[in-house]
Amino acid sequence: MNAHDESRRKFLVNAAVSAGAVAGAGLVPEALAQKEVHREPRDAESAGALHEGGERRGAFFNAQDAETVAALTERIMPGAPGKPGASDAGVLNYIDLALAGAYADLQNFYRRGLASLDAYCHKAHGAAFVRLDPAKQDEVLIALDEGKATEFAWPTAQEFFNTVRVHTMEGMFADPLYGGNKNFAGWRLVGFPGAQAVFTPDDLKSTQAFAREPMVGLQSEAKMPARRS
Amino acid sequence: MATQKADAVIVGVGAAGGILAAELCKSGMKVIGLERGPRLATADFTPHDELRYFQRQDLRPSPKRQPITWRPNSSTPSIPLPILNYGNQAGGGTVHYGALSWRFHEDDFRVRSRSIERYGASAIPLDSSLIDWPLSYADLEPFYDRAEYELGVSGKAGNLQGNKVDGGNIFEAPRRREYPLPALTPDQSGVLFEAGASKLGYHPFSSPRAILSRPYHDRPGCSYCGFCQSFGCHIGAKSSILVTKLPEADATGNFKLLTSVMCYRVNSGNSGRVTGVAYYGPDGSDNTIEADLVILAPFIYDNTRLLLLSKTQKFPNGLANSSGHLGKHVMAHITPRVFAAFDDRCINIYMGPSAQKHSLDDFNADNFDHSGKGFIRGAQISVAAADLEGGPIGTAMAMAPPPGIRRWGAAYRDFLAKYFTRYASIVAQTENLPYADQTIDLDPRVRDQWGLPAPRVTYDWRRPNEMARAQFLLAKLEEIGHAMGSQHVWRAPLGNGMPGAHHEGGTRMGKDPKDSVVNRYGQTWDIPNLFVVGSSTHPTMSGFNPTLTIQALAYMSADAIVNRYKKKPGPLA
Repeated sequence: MNAHDESRRKFLVNAAVSAGAVAGAGLVPEALAQKEVHREPRDAESAGALHEGGERRGAFFNAQDAETVAALTERIMPGAPGKPGASDAGVLNYIDLALAGAYADLQNFYRRGLASLDAYCHKAHGAAFVRLDPAKQDEVLIALDEGKATEFAWPTAQEFFNTVRVHTMEGMFADPLYGGNKNFAGWRLVGFPGAQAVFTPDDLKSTQAFAREPMVGLQSEAKMPARRS
Repeated sequence: MATQKADAVIVGVGAAGGILAAELCKSGMKVIGLERGPRLATADFTPHDELRYFQRQDLRPSPKRQPITWRPNSSTPSIPLPILNYGNQAGGGTVHYGALSWRFHEDDFRVRSRSIERYGASAIPLDSSLIDWPLSYADLEPFYDRAEYELGVSGKAGNLQGNKVDGGNIFEAPRRREYPLPALTPDQSGVLFEAGASKLGYHPFSSPRAILSRPYHDRPGCSYCGFCQSFGCHIGAKSSILVTKLPEADATGNFKLLTSVMCYRVNSGNSGRVTGVAYYGPDGSDNTIEADLVILAPFIYDNTRLLLLSKTQKFPNGLANSSGHLGKHVMAHITPRVFAAFDDRCINIYMGPSAQKHSLDDFNADNFDHSGKGFIRGAQISVAAADLEGGPIGTAMAMAPPPGIRRWGAAYRDFLAKYFTRYASIVAQTENLPYADQTIDLDPRVRDQWGLPAPRVTYDWRRPNEMARAQFLLAKLEEIGHAMGSQHVWRAPLGNGMPGAHHEGGTRMGKDPKDSVVNRYGQTWDIPNLFVVGSSTHPTMSGFNPTLTIQALAYMSADAIVNRYKKKPGPLA
C-alpha cells in the first residue's frame, strides 16, 4: 500500500463515520479530510467494506436488505479474477451512504422494491433472492429488466431494476469519496485515469491506453491547501 | 417586502442576459439582474466530479425542486423530465455547456421560403407552423463577429467573404474575417473522423467552440482535460458569461446582481406598459423592482411561464399574448447516434473538449438535395463522447451496448472493460420543425419549490418528416463509422419522443404581430418596454447548437436599445 492509498483509506474511514454528511452535501469536505483520525488498522482495512461478513454497520440498509443489494448489484456487475465487480468496488457501501444522504427520498423506493423482489423470487423460484444460485439470479434479473417479474406495483420491476443499475454504475465509477469505486477498482476496470488536469498533444494523438500515474481522486484534492484567499 | 428601482431589470443572467447586462450598463443605464441560482467562480470548479456535476446535475436545475413536466400529447398525463439541460446560476447554461459556437446558415433564417423555392409548398408538412425569421444572416453577421471576438471562439473559417477555405466548414455562411483563435487540436476520435469523412467525400472540420485554443483576454488556453459538458471550466478557458461579460458589467459600477431570487411576475398597469417585476428573495420574502425596461432572458420555460403568470384584464391569455402564439412552436434537437468500437487502437475519447469534437455539415440545413427523401432540413453530424461527456458514469448511462449484450452482467462488464477506451460516438443533431401543437403551458398538478405551477411541455418529435430524417441520418452515421475504420458499428435506440437538447420556441419572433410574440429585437409586439431575448424567440432551430445565435441576437437587441430605444422609447420595428 503506498502513501496515497493510505491517505485515501484514512479518508474513507472518516467518510464512513460521517456518512450522511458526505453523501448528502456532495462537497469536498476539507475540514473533515484534514482532521487526524486514529483508529486501529483493522478498522481502516474494513472501512470500504462495511457490510462484509454481515456486519450491521450500514447507514441505511438493515442486514437482510444489505445482503440482497450486495447480491443483486454483484449480478449487475459481476466480479471475476482481474475484473473487479460490484462487491470488489464497494457498490453496496456507495448505495447505502447515498440512501442515507443525497438519495434519502428513495428510501421507500428501495424498501418496497426489495420486498417486491423477494416476493417475486419466492413465488417464481421458492426462495429469497440471496438463496438462489447465480444462474437463477440472472433469470430474475432478466425478468426485472424486461418488466416480466410479478409482485411489483410501485416501483415497477423495470423502474426498480433501472434505478439499481444506475446506482450500481455510480458505485462502480463515482469518485471513491462517495464510498464505492474502492481502490479505483471501477476506473482501473475500464481504463479511466480519473480527473486529469491536463492532456498533452501527444496524449490526444496516442492510440495506446493512457497509463501515466497518479490516478487522481477527490480525496487528494481535498488535502490541497485552501484555494481561496 | 423591499422595492428597488432601476433603468432596466433583466430576469436571468445567462447567455443572453449577461450580454445585455454588460452592454446596457456600459451605456450608463442602471441595471438589476435577477438570478435564481448562485454566482460561482472559476475556483469553484475544482475538482472535477462526474457524479456531482454530470450525474446529479449540480450546475443545472433540480428536476425535483424545479420540475419541468412533459407529456407526448394532450391525452397523456405529464411526468417530470429527468434531465434538465440548462443553467441554474449566473452565467446560465454557458457555465456547463460544451461551448459549441455555430453561426446559422443563410437559409436557416428563411427555411419556409427556401423549402418552397427548391421543393414546392407540398414539401412542408401540413401541420408544421414553419415561418421565416424576421431578419437575414447578413443582418446578424456583425453581431456574430462581435460575439466571437468579445467572448473568444476557436475555429477555422470555411467561407471568408464568399471564398471557400479548405479545413473550415465550407458550408458556413460568409464571414468577414477569421475566428479570433485557431481551431482546437483534434484528439484521436477527430483524427479518425477527419480521415473517414474525407474518404467518403465529405468535408470535416474541427468544431468551433467558445473554448480558448490559446491564451486570450487574460485567460489561459484549454488544457484538454475533457471536463466541459456538464462541468464548469477549472481554468476559465471556456468563454462562459461568468468570465467574459459579468466582469464587464461589474466594472461599470452600474450593475447589481441579485442571486438566489425567483422572479414570479412581470408587473404592469393600465398604461400598456410594464412597470417592473416581483420576485421571491432567498428568505422567501416578496419583493418588487420598478424599472423602465423589463428584459426576460431565462431559459425558454420561464419566459412562457412568466408571461402566463402575469396575465391581466387586458391580456387574459398571458401578458403580451394578443397573438395567441405564446407557448407554441416549441422545438428540441434530437440526436440519432451510432457507436463505433475499435479493436486495433485506443481512442481515449474522455480526452479533450467533450462535446461535438469534429464535425461535418454536408447533411445539415439545405446543404444537400432533399428531393424524394420524404423530409426537409437536416442535421449537424459530429464525433463525440457517449453523452458529450467522456467519463465512465456518462458512458455507462448513455452508451447502449451492441445487440446481444444486455446493460448488465459479465458480458456487459467485459464490453465496458474493453471498449470504454476504444469507442467513439457519432451523432446527428437534427433540425426538427416547429409545430403549433408543441407547446408550453402551466401544469395543473405539479408545482415547484416556490409553489409556482411547473411549466409543462407537450411534445413528441416522432412525426413523419422527423422520423424519415432520423432514419436517413442513421445510415449516414453508420457509413462514417465504418469509414473511420471501426470493426463494430451499432445504433443507439431513438427514444420515446421526449425532447432532447436545446429546447427553443414559445415566444417566437416574426415579421407579423399576428403570428409571433416578439419582433427581431425581442421586443414584444404588444408592450414596447418588455423584451424577451433567448432561444425562446427562435422561429426555427437549425441543426446547430443555439448559443452563439442567442448571443448575437442579444448583442443586436442591446445595440437597438442603447442606440435607438433609449433616445426614443417605443416600437423598434
